[in-house]
Amino acid sequence: MNNIIANFILNGEAVEVSCEPDKMLVDLIRDDLDLRGTKIGCREGECGACTVIINNEAVNSCLIPVAKVIGKEIQTIEGVADKDKLHPIQEAFIDKGAVQCGFCIPGIIMSAKALLDKNKTPDKAELREAIGGNICRCTGYVKIEDAINQASKVMSETIVKGEENQR
Amino acid sequence: MTKFVGKSVKRLDGIDKVTGIGTFTSDMVAPGMLFGKILRSPHPHAKILKVDTSKAEKLPGVKAIIHRGNVPNNFYNSATGIFMSIPPHEAVLDQQIFSEKARFVGDEIAAVAATSEKIAQAACKLIKVDYEILPAVFSIKEAMAPDAPEIHDPKLTPVGKNIMAEIFHLPPGPPSDAVDNAFEDADVIIEEEFNINIVKQCQMETQAALADMEPNGKITVYSTTQSPHAAKAILAKIFSIPASKIRVANPPYVGGGFGVRAGLSAKAEIMAMALSMAAKKPVRVIYSREEDFIASDTRHGVIVNVKLGAKKDGKFVALDIKGYINTGAYSTFAKEVQGVLGTMMLSIYNIPVFHYACHSVYTNCTHAGAMRGFGNPQGNFALERVVDVMAENLGIDAMKLREKNIMKAGDHWFLPYPCSSSELAECIKRATESIGWKRRGSLNSDSSHIKRGLGMAVGTHCSNAGPFVVDYDNAYVAVQSDGSVNLAVGCCDMGTGTSTTLPQICAETLGLKWKDLTFTFGDTAATPFSTGNHASRGVYAQGTTVKAAAEDARNQILEYAADLFKVSPKELVIQNSIIKPVSATDEDVTVVDPMTLPGAIEETEALPLPPPLDHGIIKQANTQGALKGISLEGLSYYAHIRNKQFIGIGRTIPPNAPPWHCVAAEVEVDTELGIVKVVKLAAAHDVGTAINPQIVEGQIEGAVVQGIGFALNEEIIYKPNGQQAHASFSAYMLPMAEDIPEIDTIIVEANDPTGPYGAKGAGECGIICPASAIANAVANAIGVKVNELPMTAERVYELINND
Repeated sequence: MNNIIANFILNGEAVEVSCEPDKMLVDLIRDDLDLRGTKIGCREGECGACTVIINNEAVNSCLIPVAKVIGKEIQTIEGVADKDKLHPIQEAFIDKGAVQCGFCIPGIIMSAKALLDKNKTPDKAELREAIGGNICRCTGYVKIEDAINQASKVMSETIVKGEENQR
Repeated sequence: MTKFVGKSVKRLDGIDKVTGIGTFTSDMVAPGMLFGKILRSPHPHAKILKVDTSKAEKLPGVKAIIHRGNVPNNFYNSATGIFMSIPPHEAVLDQQIFSEKARFVGDEIAAVAATSEKIAQAACKLIKVDYEILPAVFSIKEAMAPDAPEIHDPKLTPVGKNIMAEIFHLPPGPPSDAVDNAFEDADVIIEEEFNINIVKQCQMETQAALADMEPNGKITVYSTTQSPHAAKAILAKIFSIPASKIRVANPPYVGGGFGVRAGLSAKAEIMAMALSMAAKKPVRVIYSREEDFIASDTRHGVIVNVKLGAKKDGKFVALDIKGYINTGAYSTFAKEVQGVLGTMMLSIYNIPVFHYACHSVYTNCTHAGAMRGFGNPQGNFALERVVDVMAENLGIDAMKLREKNIMKAGDHWFLPYPCSSSELAECIKRATESIGWKRRGSLNSDSSHIKRGLGMAVGTHCSNAGPFVVDYDNAYVAVQSDGSVNLAVGCCDMGTGTSTTLPQICAETLGLKWKDLTFTFGDTAATPFSTGNHASRGVYAQGTTVKAAAEDARNQILEYAADLFKVSPKELVIQNSIIKPVSATDEDVTVVDPMTLPGAIEETEALPLPPPLDHGIIKQANTQGALKGISLEGLSYYAHIRNKQFIGIGRTIPPNAPPWHCVAAEVEVDTELGIVKVVKLAAAHDVGTAINPQIVEGQIEGAVVQGIGFALNEEIIYKPNGQQAHASFSAYMLPMAEDIPEIDTIIVEANDPTGPYGAKGAGECGIICPASAIANAVANAIGVKVNELPMTAERVYELINND
């Protein structure tokens, strides 16, 4: 099988890669592009550890062949912080003690970000639905929900402030 | 007033983990690295007649193939017990890298190292294996039947068919007449048998290792082990290599453990190491999720028979317990688990006469081993169900009956360490208040098919594994010449927060600024020996050692500084990395160059040589206090140019201490469908002093949720062909965010006299009581006997309709 050439935007930068046509996005990200923050917990789309954001939707990158992301915009955990400044979701995960072993955390942060980018003030059901595909075996999700709620608060307040500044 | 202990200091690993830059074993790569894959048996029990690798060897990219014929065949045990057992106890050695028989579906037959995972996988498929298929058994009762197949050499099962090693008794020896006599005195006797499910740790990072053999014979193994030092010792035995040639390291993060890698990470380290030795290249082995399910330790399925006798007034007079443990194909931790199951059941209540007998049974299931709680959740479910049935028979409130019988601090008990502290009574009070215990019995109307119930359970656990097995730690506290401090402990942080909590203890004891401390852990080459992280021992056992090392360093610093201040060491303290008189507050102190202190001036004047030049690197704080202080930075440099470094060493043997817990549950049972919904859990935990309350809460919450899974859904069932029916996350159904009820986490601090700053174990405690409390709540709701876990809708439906 011949390699395919794939172009896409990764964490804001244009990327061109050549790879086997059946390569999964998670392997490309981890092995070829050296971004190992995206984790592999099952390779079957059942745990969410490999969650990335493609065109604003949280998806399991272990189920997406590279050919499917041509021309798309991909965000991984490495693209969430603004250089050394953590994103409010990342800040909240640290503040609330939502991190234990940390293996599921990049995926859960991506699920939370896809949610909060669209809906800054999710209710409990919306929040749980957004992380409904992410398994965390350490925290019992209690502090993870606390963290996402805190981030929601910070992010919605930031918007209000931003709007006020514009006025 | 403490500065770090008892404070929810932000985790030191937080930034690494929220940004994705933290490295786990499965992220590791090495130059020239090969990929290892394992060929596993499709049969649950089969003799391996021939392994033909000729076709696989010819596949381009294949660099090494290992099988029984070309690796060491030393018998071993993958659990830490192999080198932590204290004579006359000894570990059961029943595993080999490749056995002559496959004993479960997934047993290792051969392994391949190749230039890609795909090639390694393809090569495994080209290996031809001739099997002689043998009959297989999966349940405890089947395996003990006279016509059952022998799973191991009968030398390993001297007591009876497939009964591993000996029968374990507490007190040691067969039951005396005292037990029967005590039951004769009882007014009410309750006896029930319980059948408890096999479950899985399901840590998020699967078993993984990267081994790199250097040309000089030294081997570095990065792995997911919870106990790098123990793993090193076990690997040395398996390969007959001096332990000093092996380095085992976490890189440093480990994606969860829950016991599944206390010792080795199943065979990940072994396969990576054997393949690296064969290929003379670094080799990485990462288990797939399915491999993790089928070929790494599960929790033990257990049958427990409990007989409890009580007087009319509720006083317990006798307890007799018989346990049968399904250890699967190999023993790993079975001996230790049968010990913990019994000892923890016998230490909750103060019962004058008791007996416990237990043995483990080999079957053709996946080997069972350590999982959070280590036998305790299974035993607790059985005992706490019986206590509820007893309460009902006696007509005494289940809470009051417990309060009447619980062990109290200072009570004489049979364990080889004192019952040094207990706030169990307070835990009972707080958990039952939170759940609204007074409502019990008045929650249901006859018309609704939804029935509500309240239940509770109490329990205890350990804070380390001693004195039953080898259990000790060492720590170094090295003060650098710039005043920064490195703490080194041979622990693992599998997510439980040891890499934050142990530095908190060090910073508190030494009086450091938080930023002055760095922590080295999880690497046998950079840390002194520790038995590892299991048995809820991190804070209690390793914390004791860290405190001792920090005290040692502190004493050296104060003695040295005392000569400069011309006072006694007792008159000085270290606070915020400043050494100053005890009486001085922060505002009272002017931080000066140690050279200006009286002792230094005296020394300088006595010297024939000119005084050392001002080194100019010490940053002076310009406060205007009345008293002089010196910075640790200044003193360390002053000492350094006089050929002196402060190095504290901790070497401690923790005595062990009991944490306590009470969980109260409210449930709803749909009597038409059998569905159990947990409405709320209140979990009150006496963990001694909570060194980092936020981390302790996280431990309790996570464990409680695992307990809900254990209670309601999680179960590994073996199909007649020996395959697991639940070998993927979608089949196994562990709790997801939407399954989480209201959880009230209550920390009750007891200040244990033996623990560092009064701390006790916490990591496992949260999983011990939830299933027991939920089962008692279900029984309360629908008035049936719940003697089996998990309480799936199907099982509960049957209980309702067959009652």
